[in-house]
Amino acid sequence: MQKQVFRMLPFLIIAAFLLSSCAEDASQSTKAIQQNVSKEQKIRGPVYKGRIVGKSKKAKTLSLEVGKGAKAQTLLLKFDENTKGIQHATKGHGVIVTYKKQGKDTYVISIKPKLSKLPKGVSRIDTAALKTLIESESDFVLVDSRPAARYGQGHLPGAISIPVCEMQELISLLPKKKDTPLVFYCGGPT
Amino acid sequence: MSAGQAVQAGYKNVYVYLDGEPAWSKAGNPTYAGYGFICQGNNVVIDLRSTNKATESRIPRSVSMPFDTLEEVMDEIPLKAPVVLLSDNEQQSLAALKLFKEEGYKKVSLVEGGYYGWKRLGGKLIKGPVITEVTWKRKMAPGEVSVADFQKALANPAMAVILDVRTNEEVKVGKLKGSQHIPLDQLCSRMDEFLSNIEGLTKKQHIFIHCATGARAEMAYKELVKNGYVNAKFLKAEVSCEQNDCDIDE
Repeated sequence: MQKQVFRMLPFLIIAAFLLSSCAEDASQSTKAIQQNVSKEQKIRGPVYKGRIVGKSKKAKTLSLEVGKGAKAQTLLLKFDENTKGIQHATKGHGVIVTYKKQGKDTYVISIKPKLSKLPKGVSRIDTAALKTLIESESDFVLVDSRPAARYGQGHLPGAISIPVCEMQELISLLPKKKDTPLVFYCGGPT
Repeated sequence: MSAGQAVQAGYKNVYVYLDGEPAWSKAGNPTYAGYGFICQGNNVVIDLRSTNKATESRIPRSVSMPFDTLEEVMDEIPLKAPVVLLSDNEQQSLAALKLFKEEGYKKVSLVEGGYYGWKRLGGKLIKGPVITEVTWKRKMAPGEVSVADFQKALANPAMAVILDVRTNEEVKVGKLKGSQHIPLDQLCSRMDEFLSNIEGLTKKQHIFIHCATGARAEMAYKELVKNGYVNAKFLKAEVSCEQNDCDIDE
């Protein structure tokens, strides 16, 4: 046990550094987005929150999936060179869109990435820090939260599969020692 | 969120890798295929070892492409196919992974621990002549029409209305004979008016939508279905036209 902690020590110091700054960045930018959105809501009206499922530069049209489960709906939205933040419209990414109605069309005023807000007590880890952690072969558990089929197609080295919806039933798969570092990941910022 | 549940369960060092698997792969790092996916997934399993070794012992459905021939033969694998790589040498697997990524393959994963990892896991192995032919076929997404059915409808207009959603500029160069045209960006505002002008068209009409690649057609398909056109379908294929002469490539 002591040996393990000792082996992890250099990593933990680096990670503490990296993570504290990452977490701060994330919360700051989340705050910034929230402020911006509320400001724009006042000035420019309504927003959609959803996931980009299609984008055509030729037709200057986006396809946005909003709502969950049975209420999920796909909206066709128009944009042009005046639309702000069009670079955030990447297929599969979560976004916040401000829009206005133009007859039967919906025109996108701006697009911002939707950042997941981390629950209390959870820190963010980036690719480089995770790679260091995996290569250090230290004692930690990497959890793939995506559906099992996605895990099957390709998962990170050493990851175990606990799909989000099955977390309650499968939480027993996690190690008994509560101070074991756990890293969760899914299919990106959706 | 799973991480939040772990904190509630008392875990003290909980992290989330927000960028997720896509960012991990994009940075050039390997991902590993699961057991079931290797055995029976809709994919191509490539054995990078020599033909001799593969003849001796190999994963039943694997296709033999020895690493030193890979660059010449890898284009037999469709670009859209998920690929799983097997070798008995980790460095070789990683080199092959890099090669596939550079060629534009997006879904490439490795067998954890390579050949020996598979053997340790108790994975099935067989003996005998190797397979060298790739027979992978893409599974169609919901709402897709096959190229074959699309072609049939072109020959027999009673079967379905062909709807072209490309731009006016693209259509000027050429279009499919007998197709209707409404650019995707006008679909929302003109759908009712446009479709009501097609003789005999009801909400149950079979409508096959195409564009130049399938991306816009899919978006139009969703919009049509949302508006009650329950038999709309889209074509995911390359369509390139010159006047009335169009090529359709899967």
